[in-house]
Amino acid sequence: MKHLHTLGFLAFAAWLVAVPVMAGNEYELRLFMLFLIYGVIAVGLNVLVGLTGLVSLGQAGLFALGSYTGAILATRAGFDMISASLAAAVVAGLFGVLLAYPTVRVRGVYLAVVTIAFGIIVENVAIEWQSLTGGTTGITSIPAPNAFGWRLSGYAFYGVLAVTLFLATLATHNLKTSRFGRAMLAVSQSETAARALGIDATGVRTLAFVVAAVTAGLAGTFYAFLNAYISPDIFTFSDSVRFLLMVILGGAATTFGPVLGAYLLTYLPELLQQFALWQKFAYGALLLLVMFALPKGILGTLAGLVKRFRPTARAVSIVGAVPAEESLRQPDKALAAELVARGLTVRFGGLTALSNASVRVKGGEVHALIGPNGAGKSTFVNTISGFYRPAEGDCELDGVTLTGLKSHQIARVGLSRTFQNTELFGEMTVLENVIAGYQRRLTYSVVDAVLRTPRMRREEAEARRVAIGLLAFVGLEDYANEAARFLPFGLQRRLEIARALAAKPRLLLLDEPAAGLTTQEIDDLEAVIRRIASLGISVLLIEHHVDLIMAVADTVTVLDYGQVIASDTPSVVQDDPKVIEAYFGTSLHGAEGEKVA
Amino acid sequence: MTTFLQYTLSGLAIGGIYALVALGFHIMWSAAKAVNFAHGDTLMIGAVLAVIGIDVGLPLWLACLLAIVAGGVFGVLLERFAVRPFLGGATSIGWMLTTIAVGIMIESLATMQFGGFSRALPSPGVAQAVHIFGAGVYPQELLIPVVALIAMAGLKLMQKRTLIGRAMQAVAHDKRAAALVGIDVDRIVAFSFGLSALFGAAAGVLVAPVIQASATMGALIGLKGFAVAIIGGITSAPGVVIAGLAFGVMEKFVEGYISTAAREIIGFSVMILVLLAFPQGLFGKKEVMKV
Repeated sequence: MKHLHTLGFLAFAAWLVAVPVMAGNEYELRLFMLFLIYGVIAVGLNVLVGLTGLVSLGQAGLFALGSYTGAILATRAGFDMISASLAAAVVAGLFGVLLAYPTVRVRGVYLAVVTIAFGIIVENVAIEWQSLTGGTTGITSIPAPNAFGWRLSGYAFYGVLAVTLFLATLATHNLKTSRFGRAMLAVSQSETAARALGIDATGVRTLAFVVAAVTAGLAGTFYAFLNAYISPDIFTFSDSVRFLLMVILGGAATTFGPVLGAYLLTYLPELLQQFALWQKFAYGALLLLVMFALPKGILGTLAGLVKRFRPTARAVSIVGAVPAEESLRQPDKALAAELVARGLTVRFGGLTALSNASVRVKGGEVHALIGPNGAGKSTFVNTISGFYRPAEGDCELDGVTLTGLKSHQIARVGLSRTFQNTELFGEMTVLENVIAGYQRRLTYSVVDAVLRTPRMRREEAEARRVAIGLLAFVGLEDYANEAARFLPFGLQRRLEIARALAAKPRLLLLDEPAAGLTTQEIDDLEAVIRRIASLGISVLLIEHHVDLIMAVADTVTVLDYGQVIASDTPSVVQDDPKVIEAYFGTSLHGAEGEKVA
Repeated sequence: MTTFLQYTLSGLAIGGIYALVALGFHIMWSAAKAVNFAHGDTLMIGAVLAVIGIDVGLPLWLACLLAIVAGGVFGVLLERFAVRPFLGGATSIGWMLTTIAVGIMIESLATMQFGGFSRALPSPGVAQAVHIFGAGVYPQELLIPVVALIAMAGLKLMQKRTLIGRAMQAVAHDKRAAALVGIDVDRIVAFSFGLSALFGAAAGVLVAPVIQASATMGALIGLKGFAVAIIGGITSAPGVVIAGLAFGVMEKFVEGYISTAAREIIGFSVMILVLLAFPQGLFGKKEVMKV
């Protein structure tokens, strides 16, 4: 796949060089240049749509914003095309933050609505603010393309556009294969798990939208110079749909898909012109057709076929991997993390799920939390990991107060968790899942990612070595390149543990890790938990399975009706009359054949 | 004073339309955590079909009734064929794009059939304006906000008193649990989309005499309906109705004192500002993320 991409970029460059050589004159290039501009918008939009799974229906608005910014700077302030386009990109990016941040933290769906509305705002501001924008007549006196005081010939302008599209495609490809792209994919596949791994979902989505906004702004200025004239009615909602269709048709999340889509949809309207009235209908029909017949788009479908006929090896070599013992070991076992929860109370409406519960997980111990169904175990877990807010009480990890922090911030303090109903990133490979767990330990910047600097490569290589070591630790190295959703259930549970460990937690929270496992698998799990604890990682284990608890737990805390009714060593708790009562009612009669817990 | 009253009354009329549309978004969102992005076109279908019904000689009441029923059928079909196939997915891209695609197709079909021009639906409600302290309004305009309030109250009553209403609330709360107690979740979702579409088409029939019916009338009203749902809080039926009425009144004042362009700029900016300050809308509740 990697070589395919290199080949793709070479072919792409060759094509961009060949087109003007083949063209008879500068004018023939015009339509192709329009495609280059649309291509820039499409590759940027692909980051939003393909990676984060969000939809913007306001790219035409951002495109218009970029056009107007560039045109006004060029006509009023004497900017050349290059500086005007960069300024337009910055302005569009700022509006991107303004639009995305309030929106994506609530519901992703809102982004589509807010962006359509933004398109309408831009259009009306352009009409209304006549002194700046020329109102409905628009801006007519846009100078010929120029750079650094030189007037650009048609071919030189072509060169600028071709280089821009090539670099934009390369930059988004690099972003996709970096920690940022991985975070985007993770958030779109399971926001819950992503947050638990320390990924700031709102930040990641905002970043994706800003990328889409910046490219649209950049393309806008180029468009203003190509057209030499802009007015409010050039930028319509249909254009926004067309930009989106470019991404989907070509193949969302693929590197070259949006370029292909932009090419097809630049030339298609020329062919459809004879069906004037049906043209709009055709866009709708095409979109519908693609969604049902080709949901992965042209290149996405092709990539799927390639994978099917030439599957990559499922296993990965563990040569050079960093053994888990080495990557996980805490510096000093005596300093293992201590979790203290004091008087936690959580209410859902009238129901008190957790009532004044205090639990202390001592450093380096395996602490089991048990209780009948509905006792409040999951509520407890979700409260300390930041998914629920307690009405009263607080908890801290080694003196750092967790209450009030968001779940991704809590993860960064050093708490990792697994989920009762596994929350894997299903479309990612097993190895990628674990690398996603390593996410918060990667520190390179967006610039490093786009330029693939040595720092980025070094950190990524280290992440991969650690991840492979962790796969070996849980015995999954033979499945490394399999998509996570194809793993059998028992292995999915193990993968979740490996992923949680990749964050190098100081406290690992296992939410019913034995549920649904076979006896053999539970024995393996027991061994894994022991090895984790021996590395100095404190473990909080929520479990029903008595044998497992008796075998691994140092301390057992029992919850019933949201209250802590016992907390001691397993053997003491087992004989505690209150615990027996909680499980079996007042007497032991009728409890034959069952064990406590 | 007269101007003030005039703007308020006409604002409540258009606001009632936004409220009805937003109520539809609320119902769909509650049932499916998905909505029909062609919901504005449901309104257009109601308005345009009513006008066509009059053209072919149907009495007004029958034309309106058939138009509303057709809108409802459209909603149910759309849910079945464009929304349901994509409901299980991790992202919302699927149903968003299919419903948008259907909206585009319906709108361009309507443009071809109905023509690119606007026509008013004749109605006794606009035969003669009534004057209230000097402000002239049509009875039809006074009727619209009343219908919106009745629709909301009816919805609340249905959710409290009827089996299907309670099932809708159960599905909104937890789909899986609802299915486990024997509720046919698919049917409730289909019913919810149908009901929303009835509200939407009824809004179209109600507004067609006041503003004119055209093939393109749905897009902007639909968008504003969603904006109102965001402002009021998509999880709250009374919230979206109050926000709808208020939004309509605000629009009329901005339009009257500044301009039509300013109306759109200010209206949608208010939506973004509300979202910034009240992520769940003014009256909405946060949906608990089930882990």
